[in-house]
Amino acid sequence: MFVSTASVLGARTSNAARRVSTVLVTLLGLLALTFVIGRVMPLDPVLAVVGPDADSSTYDQVYRAMGLDKPIWTQFGLYLNDLLHGNFGNALLTGHPVLEDILRVFPATIELATLAILFGVLIGLPLGVCAASNQGRMGDHIARVITLFGYSTPIFWLGMMGLLVFYAWLGWAGGAGRIDLAYDGMVPEVTGLLLIDTSLARDWDAFASAMRHILLPALILGLNSVAYISRMTRSFMLEQLSQEYIITARVKGLSRRQVVWGHAFRNILVQLLTVVALAYGSLLEGAVLIEMVFAWPGFGQYLTSSLMLGDMNAVMGCVLVIGLIFVALNLISDALYKVFDPRTR
Amino acid sequence: MSISPLLWARVLAMALAVTAVPVTYAKTPADQLIVGMSMINLLSLDPAAATGLDVSEINANLYDMLLVQDVAQPDRLLPALAERWQVSDDRKTLTFNLRSDVKFQSGNPLGADDVVWSLQRVLKLNLALASTWKAYGFSADNVDRLIRATDPNTVVIELARPTDPMLVLNTLATSPSAFILDRKKVLEHEKNNDLGAAWLVTHAAGSGAFVLNDWRANDVILMTRFDGYWGGPAKLKRIVMRNMTESQSLRLMIERGDLDIAKGMSAPDIQALQKNPDIRTQSLQRGTLYYVALSVKQPMFADARVRQAVRSLIDYQGINQTVMPHYGVINQRPLPLGLPARLPDPGYQLNVDQAKKLLAEAGYPNGFKTSIRVLTEPPFINIASSLQSTLAQAGIEASIITGTGNQVYGAMRDRSFDIIVGRGGGGAERHPHSSLRTLVYNPDNRDEAKLSNFQGWRTSFYSPELNTLIESAEVEPDAAKQLAQYREIQEQLDQQVGAILPVSQMTDTVLVYGDVVDFQGHTAATTRYKDVYKNR
Repeated sequence: MFVSTASVLGARTSNAARRVSTVLVTLLGLLALTFVIGRVMPLDPVLAVVGPDADSSTYDQVYRAMGLDKPIWTQFGLYLNDLLHGNFGNALLTGHPVLEDILRVFPATIELATLAILFGVLIGLPLGVCAASNQGRMGDHIARVITLFGYSTPIFWLGMMGLLVFYAWLGWAGGAGRIDLAYDGMVPEVTGLLLIDTSLARDWDAFASAMRHILLPALILGLNSVAYISRMTRSFMLEQLSQEYIITARVKGLSRRQVVWGHAFRNILVQLLTVVALAYGSLLEGAVLIEMVFAWPGFGQYLTSSLMLGDMNAVMGCVLVIGLIFVALNLISDALYKVFDPRTR
Repeated sequence: MSISPLLWARVLAMALAVTAVPVTYAKTPADQLIVGMSMINLLSLDPAAATGLDVSEINANLYDMLLVQDVAQPDRLLPALAERWQVSDDRKTLTFNLRSDVKFQSGNPLGADDVVWSLQRVLKLNLALASTWKAYGFSADNVDRLIRATDPNTVVIELARPTDPMLVLNTLATSPSAFILDRKKVLEHEKNNDLGAAWLVTHAAGSGAFVLNDWRANDVILMTRFDGYWGGPAKLKRIVMRNMTESQSLRLMIERGDLDIAKGMSAPDIQALQKNPDIRTQSLQRGTLYYVALSVKQPMFADARVRQAVRSLIDYQGINQTVMPHYGVINQRPLPLGLPARLPDPGYQLNVDQAKKLLAEAGYPNGFKTSIRVLTEPPFINIASSLQSTLAQAGIEASIITGTGNQVYGAMRDRSFDIIVGRGGGGAERHPHSSLRTLVYNPDNRDEAKLSNFQGWRTSFYSPELNTLIESAEVEPDAAKQLAQYREIQEQLDQQVGAILPVSQMTDTVLVYGDVVDFQGHTAATTRYKDVYKNR
């Protein structure tokens, strides 16, 4: 018994060690690739700082101050060394430490992406189930049209149209930004998530303003997730609905609802976890267009601006965060697999 | 912190309420000015390092200068921190007598030491804006000797080399390097002898009419009124600037009255708003020019006849009528419109037959292949497209290479280009030398000289005669003779066919909501909000 517990523990430890080393190698590879791409890109971060009209002595001074005169692998080694000491470097764009910047902009994106994925799950799952259980009928066709719309409509255009209709014409939505400017800087920052901070401050006017501002971009951003989640759900459900156990359940006289939701849907939950996790990850790192249209000061806009400037410290920091997000989402979905699927325990 | 179920219920109810009920919006607050603009190029607020027009405007409200340019008559300079100034008879020394009642926002009194330290700091740090002063011969080595305080309220600037004192005075009134810093406060934040450079990237220490409360990069800038301002407190309590990169978002927000001022909008959106009676447009002429630059390093462009052929292949009228409204107005001279020294436009027009003839004379009867480097954004890309099509009419096959600002101007600085459609010029100083120094002057054409701050050097266009004339006009004390020399330079440049072919002079169009009063944009981008208010 003792031996068997020890061997189980050993196996778990080596499993964990293997997983950690895989994550570290992945992140290192990601950083090295980004670093090399950043250096070979025809972008000059020095010019971004000194402007196009600076003379050569100023240019050379800033070039050296940025460490660009050193060989590329020395630069990468120095960067990794700083990283191991918790120093992501300073961003050109803000002059602040990159980590501080990311912590400042990330809550805006988390808030937006979380609401969007909620929308994606709440609409996408039932839509997919409805499509599968009505295959070839009206429900399926409607779901397909919605899916097609969600996939094929450019999010940028949709954002502009949304602003035009719901903000400019109807006045239902707030305009650009996270909150009306009159409230900007007025709500004490606790979490960086405005809906929560305004609630904690019990400033309901500010809360209403923040809600008006976030709903439209979140709905538009979530539309793509609706398409993706509903499509995957439909496909998983169709596979389950053709299984023998479903026929048996029907023969036993279970209601359609019990068969669909109680049997088929329960069996696709595990697969859906991965789908939702990946969709959420994509929203966190891919909200850039919607952030531009809605002047949303989030992670996507920060990353894009940094890329345009060739601000490699900020870009590397963002890439690392994106890598960590996907690693974390994978770990979480793996953990949830074990909760929902006893075979994986 | 625990949150009661009741609280959550209220949150949920509120969420439902705001989604279900159409909301009536109030306009912007009466005591705040809400400005929408792109902050993508806003990297630093430090007056020694901050380049770009947007940051000039922000700093003009946080800091003061010794002099200011008159908004109504930009050729006139008015007292600001300096209540009077004198130029010595030998034109080598400028003396400034400061106001004695000025306090910084910190409460520290502003004195000659602050002025001297601020100007010296620009050269000692040798960051982006040191170039302006280095062009006058100042350097980190000589600045302690040449810029000094002779008493607590008097500053003396000795010119490092012979130049027109009006140039330096113009720089002191318009350059973003000429803002005066609170020396004591900045030095409290000094690290590793950086003269406060790291701190000033995101903070301010000035005496201006507004105090910087917060700058969140790519998000928002908040400023509040400085009640102790020496010129009297501003009429508005708060200025809020929000980063908005999308022109159509700006348009929708100013249409609904959620913005008071919108900057950086695209021409179609501006045109659409011109019919709106609630919105005014203000067009501001800048000192910079849109141009077609040719690299004389390329053998074909080394021939003046080919340069002249390209000049005949620019559809000046078409570009300025169709592409440039709200971006620029026609200007075929290197000097900004309105300068007394500027000659009238020479009247260049698209003339394909003449271009073909010139190309044949130069040995290119069938044209040649070349490339145009250009930014992807309007109006640059539109000018390049027009040029590509008109060059093709004379057999010149030009491919367009698009890129970001530093890809295009980086190639120009490296002298590795054929043609660039770009923008540049003398900036805000209302003096012919400022433009000629930037666009034409090239004192040393060798690659090793690395005079990349001179756009003339970047094109490899080298004319010893023009260099001598520019140097001579700069130091000419007699105004009439100087005027004549500047006119001669333009005529000679016309004959020699310079490598930078001006097409249009930059204008910035600002949209202002109807109830905003006394907003007057400055051509030098030092627009001050102190007297702006709302008519409500």
